[in-house]
Amino acid sequence: MRTDPNIPDPDAFYAALVDAHDGLSEAQSAELNARLVFLLANQIGEHQILIDCVDAARKLATRS
Amino acid sequence: MGRTDQSGWTAGYDLPVYPFVPPPELAGVRGRYPIVIAGGGLAGLTLGCDLALRGVDCVLLDEDDTVGVRGAASRGIVYAQKTLEVFARLGTYERVLEKGITWSEGKTLAGHDIVYSFNLQLATPSVQPPFINLQQFYVEWFLVDRIRALGHCDLRWRNKVVAVTQSARSVTATVETPAGTYSLEADWLVDATGVNSPIRGGFGLDPHTSSIADRWCITDVRFKERFPTERWTWVEAPFNENRAVWQHLMGDEVWRLDYQMAPDCDPEHVSRREVAEARLRAHLGDTEFELVWVGPYAYRDHLLDEFSHGRVFFLGDAAHVVSPFGARGGNSGVHDADNLGWKLALVARRHAPERLLDTYHAERHAAAKENLRVTSRTNRFLAPQSAAERTLRSAALALAREYPFARPLVNTGRMSIANPYPDSPAVTAAGWSVPNVPITLPDGSRADLVTLARSVGTAFLGILYAPTRGHEIAEFARLEAIGLPFRFFVCGRGGVGDPEGKLKAALKAEPDSFALIRPDLYLGALVPNATAAQAEGALRKALCLDEALEL
Repeated sequence: MRTDPNIPDPDAFYAALVDAHDGLSEAQSAELNARLVFLLANQIGEHQILIDCVDAARKLATRS
Repeated sequence: MGRTDQSGWTAGYDLPVYPFVPPPELAGVRGRYPIVIAGGGLAGLTLGCDLALRGVDCVLLDEDDTVGVRGAASRGIVYAQKTLEVFARLGTYERVLEKGITWSEGKTLAGHDIVYSFNLQLATPSVQPPFINLQQFYVEWFLVDRIRALGHCDLRWRNKVVAVTQSARSVTATVETPAGTYSLEADWLVDATGVNSPIRGGFGLDPHTSSIADRWCITDVRFKERFPTERWTWVEAPFNENRAVWQHLMGDEVWRLDYQMAPDCDPEHVSRREVAEARLRAHLGDTEFELVWVGPYAYRDHLLDEFSHGRVFFLGDAAHVVSPFGARGGNSGVHDADNLGWKLALVARRHAPERLLDTYHAERHAAAKENLRVTSRTNRFLAPQSAAERTLRSAALALAREYPFARPLVNTGRMSIANPYPDSPAVTAAGWSVPNVPITLPDGSRADLVTLARSVGTAFLGILYAPTRGHEIAEFARLEAIGLPFRFFVCGRGGVGDPEGKLKAALKAEPDSFALIRPDLYLGALVPNATAAQAEGALRKALCLDEALEL
């Protein structure tokens, strides 16, 4: 799992992500995020990287 | 002679009834047998038939006097390829094929959309198809008929094992019959009494039963209309409150429909005729049908820590229960029997040390653990336990409708396979099941691997694949004469033929590879560029023989 910055034009990506949630209910937003996870996972396509990402995301949930 | 269904459904089946015959022990004979099998369900009957075919005497005790349980419920209906290969070896396959429904295509639906489909026929090298659907009682019935024809296995109906004790040298079973209670002794006892095994309980063994029960309603039904003979599964069926539904054809033109029920449903209510009929109409609209059998079904997973306890072995549901998705229940019971039968046969004949029997646990516990892992994942997909899980599933289904990449995420069951045993202590760089590939025999006649295995009895098949060094063949052949259960064949050079190259692919063999095929048609060893000494080493390891140990 790479942790150095690799997202091109991060502000534009963030804005696109925020815009995608415009006008959605909480449940619809949750589903959008879940669809996005699967779509991005398929772009990565490497099992260990995916599992490391899941672990990294989970770690922050249990820390807070 | 037949019997109508006790549950009151007009089953339309005429199940056999087997007579109770007072056993010799009740006339004062002291019974001592090499092997006693408790339980005449799918796993117990498969083992009884396997031992009978191998010419090993055994006694099979069953508390009932017919096949199936709870009347004519269809129960386990999907028989996968390895199981069909076992039936081919035992001699019941032709009847299963004739009576059952051969299929290979499956479709998974969510709402009205197909989100996943498979066709397993395309990939199979075996003579047997990927799947045959058939009511479980037919499969058991054919096994009983076969056992009766073979002899060696003393089938005792209405003989219920009520207690089992053991010493270092023998097992004693106490058995209740209509004519009184008796006891018999055995070298080994196999517990195939099913999910609620009283034998397992009697030894105080904890199978670690899961806390969550999944509830279903089984509906066996005949239609006027014809539907495609594919396995259809709904993840979210609009006609079943968005819960899962299974739809399969079985023998006698009877369809098996499984409806997932709410966890807090009343099992009696969901099985009432008018409730079942209403559910069917919601599912299939205004079509003519005849209910054959309806009943609730619930299961809880379990997995026993040790598949043997002294001289007692646990087989099938007595050892493990998994979710039914993927047909890994009944099939794995058959595979348990397939694994244990030849080992018991060799040990009972003193052709292998008792240690060989320890590999039953090593191999089949690992298989059951894997089956539990696979089916638990399916269960998690089909019965989400939280809002987050429902969201993830809903996202996966939505994507699967649009994009091929998401379709493999849709999990309505990963179908039963012959679990490999890579970590078995008796296996050398192999451990996978060799499919029943077509071959030719040395006389040129067309045959298959199962036929070849049957022709040598309970022995390992050593195959030297396409040897390039002719002078060493005699050294391999000499291994037939060292007192071990072993038969040697050359593939090529006028020996066994592999006209379609399927044996080569199944064995992953190269020229000069030595393949050691076990009596359960698992590959015990694969030795590239093999010498006869290496072949002998692999054979001894597969039999759990030390170099120094003399039989």
